[in-house]
Amino acid sequence: MGRIQLKNVTKSFGDVQVIPPLDLTIEDGEFAVFVGPSGCGKSTLLRMIAGLEDLTSGEIEIDGEVATEVPPAQRGLAMVFQSYALYPHMTVRKNIGFPLRMAKIEQAEIDQRVETAAKSLNLMDYLDRKPADLSGGQRQRVAIGRAIVREPAAFLFDEPLSNLDAALRVGMRLEIGELHERLKTTMIYVTHDQVEAMTMANKIVVLRAGVIEQVGSPLELYHRPQNEFVAGFIGSPKMNFVKGPEAEKHDAATIGIRPEHTDVSMTDGAWKGRVGVAEHLGSDTFIHVHDTGLADMLTVRVTGDISVKHGDTIYLTPQADQIHKFDAQGLRI
Amino acid sequence: MSDRKLPRLLQTPAVLLLLVWMLIPLGMTLYFSFIRYVLNSLRRPEWTTPNLSNWRGFGNYEFVLKSKDFLFAIQNSLFIVCSILILTVILGVLIAVLINKTFPGQGIVRVLLISPFFVMPAVNAVLWINMILDPVLGLQGIAIGSINELLESLRNVPLVDWFFSLWPKLEPISFRATQTSAYAVIIMVTWQWTPFAVLIFMTSLQSEDQQQKEAAVLDGASAWSQFRFLTLPHLARPIAIVVMIQAIFHLSLYAEIEIVSRGNGNKNLPYLIGEFANNNIGAASATGIFAVILANIVAFFLLRMIGKTLME
Ligand SMILES: Nc1ncnc2c1ncn2[C@@H]1O[C@H](COP(=O)(O)OP(=O)(O)OP(=O)(O)O)[C@@H](O)[C@H]1O
Ligand SMILES: [Mg+2]
Repeated sequence: MGRIQLKNVTKSFGDVQVIPPLDLTIEDGEFAVFVGPSGCGKSTLLRMIAGLEDLTSGEIEIDGEVATEVPPAQRGLAMVFQSYALYPHMTVRKNIGFPLRMAKIEQAEIDQRVETAAKSLNLMDYLDRKPADLSGGQRQRVAIGRAIVREPAAFLFDEPLSNLDAALRVGMRLEIGELHERLKTTMIYVTHDQVEAMTMANKIVVLRAGVIEQVGSPLELYHRPQNEFVAGFIGSPKMNFVKGPEAEKHDAATIGIRPEHTDVSMTDGAWKGRVGVAEHLGSDTFIHVHDTGLADMLTVRVTGDISVKHGDTIYLTPQADQIHKFDAQGLRI
Repeated sequence: MSDRKLPRLLQTPAVLLLLVWMLIPLGMTLYFSFIRYVLNSLRRPEWTTPNLSNWRGFGNYEFVLKSKDFLFAIQNSLFIVCSILILTVILGVLIAVLINKTFPGQGIVRVLLISPFFVMPAVNAVLWINMILDPVLGLQGIAIGSINELLESLRNVPLVDWFFSLWPKLEPISFRATQTSAYAVIIMVTWQWTPFAVLIFMTSLQSEDQQQKEAAVLDGASAWSQFRFLTLPHLARPIAIVVMIQAIFHLSLYAEIEIVSRGNGNKNLPYLIGEFANNNIGAASATGIFAVILANIVAFFLLRMIGKTLME
């Protein structure tokens, strides 16, 4: 079980309010991802749930019981830190077994549970090594192993993959996803990488300056962003925003169109522009288009390869059913 | 010239200088330890100048080995050094952990804590033996005197008088006595060197990883477990350094021993050398060679111990 509820939670450091009153429910078994730009309070929120940071006001409930005053270790939550926070003087075996040892569990059972966790994480060959002798990905798995053996009500991850290289990050992403499928335990995952958020989450919580901008499934956020901020934050490359007369045609202050929802032609279309940089990824091409008179730059995404040169004239046509409309306050119409 | 030769060549003068610096005193000590050489002798004036014709072989060594103070001095050296090491490391770790937390007046407390280290050893010894440990005039004498007075007056209070009349009159301890002078030296050197340990441990504590501590908190580790399983292993290396440096320094304690009891009941090898050197340079030199051997043995064990902690 692991249903986590934040009720009217706030946090201030001195006079600075980092989290204004905030309500949020994470259901049992959910994979919730907190995303948002740097400094928006994701880590602070996670640490408050873990009990490492006191609440300024409000309440946290875990499985319906008020946990605000419960010490961190008794909340039944396990956390994986960005720096892994492995104990450098202990072997991998001791590291993974540490929470069990602290819980005064019998040595035989500790050994058995550590082995089970190590097997599932492919760490059997490294059990007697020290953390310093492991690669980044292996360290990350040890940190996860240390969390798993406790059989927690929920896992908390604070940017666990940000120290890994791109290829390893994709691999670990899948492993964590796999782990969630297998354990069905609640997971709360903090990241500022929206690709991680989109691929792993059941539920994404978009934060800005401590305020929840939108909560929803990845596709909900992608197809129906509540406001300009979420629209710009979710999706890669970023959504294009157009203001002015073009927007007024759609009865909106701003319209947004995703790069992948724009048709491209060299001969005719709704908007005319000049090709700037074209990024050829093989599978896709990102073309940055200037001089449309609509915005500084529009980005379009074309599937496959397309031969355009810097300076070419290009015509763009937004797909009518994919246009997002926002009012003057930036809210979705 | 290959690129290895040039650096070697450039190092040569410094290395030679260092060798000469070490080898000449060691050579002279060795030489004196094998001849008869005294400062004053009416009976044998020819012994007062160092000369190969006064060759004595291992005679000086035999003389030193047979002298009644030699074994005692070695045991006592080790006793003093080990006691100081244990006390400074324990106190140093405790104090460093305590003052590592942020609290008001932290800066002043830290400066005050370090200050004993800047007192000269002889001053330190005079201060302790006369002002603090003296059984009559020192703090010890005054404290015990006033406790005795307090007990005395309590014996006249009805109801509790029977209880306090069971208490003995407290006797102050004289730290210049044969049985206690070593303890006096241990106390004063510990006081002086604990700040050194605190300083080293504190720097190390500040580099301790806070996320590890938070992880341990979440793993259910108590304050003691955090200390035992995280802080103490983290301090292994600085502890090794403190032990090593202090061992080297304290094997050659002199001023404190001289001032506390003039060697009465409390000698170490340097003090023995000093006593021999009043007249018998040959015996003093032989003792010096023994001291070199002892220092090497101690250094050997310490290095192995440190090597082990570094491996872990
Ligand atoms: N101990 C602290 N004292 C004062 N301010 C703090 C403290 N911890 C965090 N803050 C502030 O709170 C805000 C939120 O910080 P937090 O670490 O939660 O951001 P974040 O969303 O995790 O950012 P990042 O993606 O960079 O990790 C920041 O403005 C930060 O400066
Ligand atoms: Mg953070």
